[in-house]
Amino acid sequence: MKQSRLFVAGLVASLAMAGTASKAIADNDEITRGQLMAASCKACHNAAGAEKGVPDLARISPEVIQSQMRAFRDGDRDATIMDRHAKGYTDEEIEAMSVYFSRF
Amino acid sequence: MHNFTRRHFLKAFGVTSAAALTGIGCAPRAARNGAKAHVVVVGGGSGGATAARYLKQFSPDMMVTLIEPNATYVTCYGSNWVIGGFESMDAITHGYQNLRDRDGIDVIEDKVVGVDTDSRTVRLESGGSVQYDKLVMSPGIDFKYDDMPGIDEADAERIPHAWKAGSQTELLRSQLLEMPNGGVFVMVAPPNPFRCPPGPYERVSLIAHYFKEHKPRSKIIVLDAKDNFSKQGLFEEGWAQHYGDMIEWRGASDGGLVEEIDVGGMTARSDSGFERVRADVMNFIPAQRAGQIVHDVGLTNDQGWVPVNQRTFKSEMDDNIYVLGDASVAGAMPKSGHSANNQGKIVAAAIVRELMDQEPIDPSSANTCYSLITPEHGISVAAVYKYQDGAQAGVEGSGGVSPSGETSSFRRREAEYTRAWYAGITRDIWG
Repeated sequence: MKQSRLFVAGLVASLAMAGTASKAIADNDEITRGQLMAASCKACHNAAGAEKGVPDLARISPEVIQSQMRAFRDGDRDATIMDRHAKGYTDEEIEAMSVYFSRF
Repeated sequence: MHNFTRRHFLKAFGVTSAAALTGIGCAPRAARNGAKAHVVVVGGGSGGATAARYLKQFSPDMMVTLIEPNATYVTCYGSNWVIGGFESMDAITHGYQNLRDRDGIDVIEDKVVGVDTDSRTVRLESGGSVQYDKLVMSPGIDFKYDDMPGIDEADAERIPHAWKAGSQTELLRSQLLEMPNGGVFVMVAPPNPFRCPPGPYERVSLIAHYFKEHKPRSKIIVLDAKDNFSKQGLFEEGWAQHYGDMIEWRGASDGGLVEEIDVGGMTARSDSGFERVRADVMNFIPAQRAGQIVHDVGLTNDQGWVPVNQRTFKSEMDDNIYVLGDASVAGAMPKSGHSANNQGKIVAAAIVRELMDQEPIDPSSANTCYSLITPEHGISVAAVYKYQDGAQAGVEGSGGVSPSGETSSFRRREAEYTRAWYAGITRDIWG
């Protein structure tokens, strides 16, 4: 139940992204720390990983990425490994990386 | 869909250059000679190929050349699946076509035989040379056969290391196929530091998987130069669960420290010669050091590895050379394909920022290392690294290994994610 609600939220937020493209480009005249952190996640979370069951973060909105990372970190969402990863990031870092996935 | 949206937006504002279209691109300032910056990457493995691709992604106008002696790359990760008999060599072999055609990287199939750091020139085996503004070296490992009496590099045709994947992987697999039921497989495991810390123990797990199905009276003995190993509790739990007492692991202080290998007699000697273990198939994984080329260039320390600034992976010995992957000294980051992949991105960002006269950033990256105990039993170790106080360090409170005593369904999900990880990271590296 929780999962399906999140999925819908993700779709809605992804569609909303279309309107935020201008902001995405405007603040991006250098490689940032958030961008480099997002690039790290992309090793697993890309289109090829998605074919085998790991979500492609390019298709998930920043808002949903943020809420799910916090849920993994705080123990509110079950995981095999993402709980261990999510504990390595502050709220600010999660926010900083979340905006880059749709731009790779 | 995102691309369309972005293009649409850019078009509306009259921005049409290729750099702008990527959205994340930024062309570095012209290099000192006034031409476009040229970055040469040596080695097309996990570190080098990633660095090349992300340099182009971060800076599409940059000229990037990748020099790699082989037409394809066989990953060491995944090679234990081949040795265990449930994956093909094709599945772990990757080419450079996408780097050439899609990423615009100039891939040269040749071997680098020397570097002149004064003229910033790389010399090729074919006789040619290539000039660089920045050089990225990702040479992987070489073996220290001299550390083990009785055996040398040529003996790898009889006693494979199979620690650089390819023909060595196939050789070990074929020896296991030919071994009779009831035979003894002996692994001589390396001292720290070495490539892929859990790798030897995944290997014996998956050889046990093959034996259990096809040669159930056989035995596996690990003679280890160490007294403990990566994910040890999880491996031993899995071995007991799936393989009974088929796998016997002997730590260094328990007779496992091998002092000599008798190649003709297929025997490993330890404990001042009191222990002699005879093998039907032996796998000797030698002690390791950085790949030869970085020794030749003078970038290594007394231990045979390359000290770098762990913020940027720039060599401590040369201001224009970056070294990453297994060859580098990278703080808490293990010598793993995933670390090399992360370091490739860190180096790409560092070079682009330096060429634009920007301060380096403090990188943070995630490493996930999966191992299979059976094709349906996966375990993992995770870590988040941050550059702090001059080194790559694990973030306190994060990371760690899979929980012990978990359900078979949890282990199966991690085995599925093992395959997903492989598919994802190899796409990220080779396109």
